[in-house]
Amino acid sequence: MSRQAIAHIGIKSRLREFGSSVVRRRHIYFMLLPSIAFFVIFRYIPIYGIQLAFKKYAVNLGITGSPFVGFANFKMLFVDTDFWVAVRNTLIIAFLQIIAFFPFTVMLALLINELQQRRLKRFLQTLFTFPHFLSWVIVAGIVLNIMGQTGAINNLLAVLGLNRVQFLTDQSIFRQFLVGTLIWKEAGWSCILYLAAITAIDPALYEAAIIDGANRWHRMVNVTWPGIQMIVVVTLILRVGYIMDAGFEQIFNIYNPTVYPVADIIDTYIYRISFQRTANFGVSTAVGLFKGLTNCVLLVFTDFICKRVSGTGIA
Amino acid sequence: MPKTSQLNLLSKRNLRSNNLFDYINIVFLCVFGLLILYPFYNSILVSFTPESTYVKTPFMLYPKAFTLGSYYLVFRFKVIYTGYAVTLFVTVVGVLYNMLLTVLMAYCFNQSFPLKRFLFFIVLFTMFFSGGLIPYYLLIKDLGLIDTLFSMILPTGISITYMTVMRKYFAAIPLELEESAKLDGASDVTILFRIILPIASPMIVTFMLYYGVERWNEWWNGMLFIKSPFKQPLQLVLRSIIQSTANEMSSSVAQANLIPFTDGVKMASVVVTMVPIMAVYPFLQKYFVQGLAIGAVKG
Repeated sequence: MSRQAIAHIGIKSRLREFGSSVVRRRHIYFMLLPSIAFFVIFRYIPIYGIQLAFKKYAVNLGITGSPFVGFANFKMLFVDTDFWVAVRNTLIIAFLQIIAFFPFTVMLALLINELQQRRLKRFLQTLFTFPHFLSWVIVAGIVLNIMGQTGAINNLLAVLGLNRVQFLTDQSIFRQFLVGTLIWKEAGWSCILYLAAITAIDPALYEAAIIDGANRWHRMVNVTWPGIQMIVVVTLILRVGYIMDAGFEQIFNIYNPTVYPVADIIDTYIYRISFQRTANFGVSTAVGLFKGLTNCVLLVFTDFICKRVSGTGIA
Repeated sequence: MPKTSQLNLLSKRNLRSNNLFDYINIVFLCVFGLLILYPFYNSILVSFTPESTYVKTPFMLYPKAFTLGSYYLVFRFKVIYTGYAVTLFVTVVGVLYNMLLTVLMAYCFNQSFPLKRFLFFIVLFTMFFSGGLIPYYLLIKDLGLIDTLFSMILPTGISITYMTVMRKYFAAIPLELEESAKLDGASDVTILFRIILPIASPMIVTFMLYYGVERWNEWWNGMLFIKSPFKQPLQLVLRSIIQSTANEMSSSVAQANLIPFTDGVKMASVVVTMVPIMAVYPFLQKYFVQGLAIGAVKG
């Protein structure tokens, strides 16, 4: 028998083995069917639709029937100054979140952990995590009222003899204001991750530190902080992976045309150009593809680094 | 024994000698707590305040006058009732749909079967790359889901993060339980629903709550796909109330011959939307925190 024939038999028997184990595990496939169908329909068909980025969309022709136009959509996009403003704003706002929101959550976790009064600790934690469960629509409603021109905060400033601050319309502080509202809503929730990691630190380390004469501050800096360093680094890397997301739901509900130059991010830009009167679906899809590809490269990269650093990746 | 008593002594002395740090810490955290609390308090206050009082003293620490006028107007909006009904429907049906898909998937990916790695890759890939807004919009349109409640239910099926945490939780359940059930002739479906789920029930409750909150907060799909006002979810109704100007609001309640107090009506509708979560949250906080903690420690 020739080598090929032997290989052929090998493939055949392996196929048969494969087939019989598929039949044996058929329950599993039935159980998986709805979930896989979900991913195929609602995640993969849109990916197939990305071809629209290279087409001129015509409603009557559909995605596949619309005429191919090469990179024309991208050319239109790359000369649009609004697009570059949105890219810049996305990166700046995401960067502000990384340097302000992120360290704040780590600090908050360390401080909550040091609270000795158990009931106060539980009460504050309940309070801090609560805003996370409200939608940005509700939070925007609250924020727009209290931070507005005639809202409580500005009236307090006026009573104290200070100038009113246009939090909602002043371009020079709007981004910082956004990060502030993010801290208000999400800091308490984000720090739970670190608090959980703190509870996993070996108590023997604290005992040893006490015997060595370390006070509470020393222990916080030399035992607790190193104990959560790894998870902090991983969270930071993952946040960098999502740098193209600056928080659509937040900004979309809080911003207004006055602050578009500083707060229009890629996602809000896509939404606005897609559903305005002269919408061009080809260009909108092109922005989506631009963002998707950048995101993908960043995520693959950060996932790789995370796995090297800690052994776990994005999922 | 002497060693432990020495330890206690040390830590007690340590506690007392660090009063300053404690005080600063308590003060700082309480101030942050007040910063979180006051906006809620302020919103509730504004919703119960008559306009005349609000104009005079907009920074209030205690209520100076009381009215139900704003709520009276809010409950005249028909969309508030339909919004509640739509959101309740979307939450109940949506969570069942989410849980069914997620539980099945988490269970299956703990088993071994041909093509498992390939299928898992297909699922994970969607975390790295997606089609974007327009292809998504056109898909929903082609499926004929525009202006149906199912456009807010079907497209958000599985959170891969929740599925992964659930899978790890299932994996920690002793294999002997499954194996003995298999010897007794139980199928995978029976094992999942009769053995795994009852053991994992705290985790199931947690993820039902997570999905439930997400569903309750749904507005984005509604804004994209819902055209009829009476099919809008509650959050979207709230959004249009918040974004509306004084003039728009007066015209929508014109038949009542009332000039609405815009801020009051806005805050009253915020409170009306927020109340269910406020009522449920303190009692279920344990479950809310648990999911993330398990994910963190095992993940």
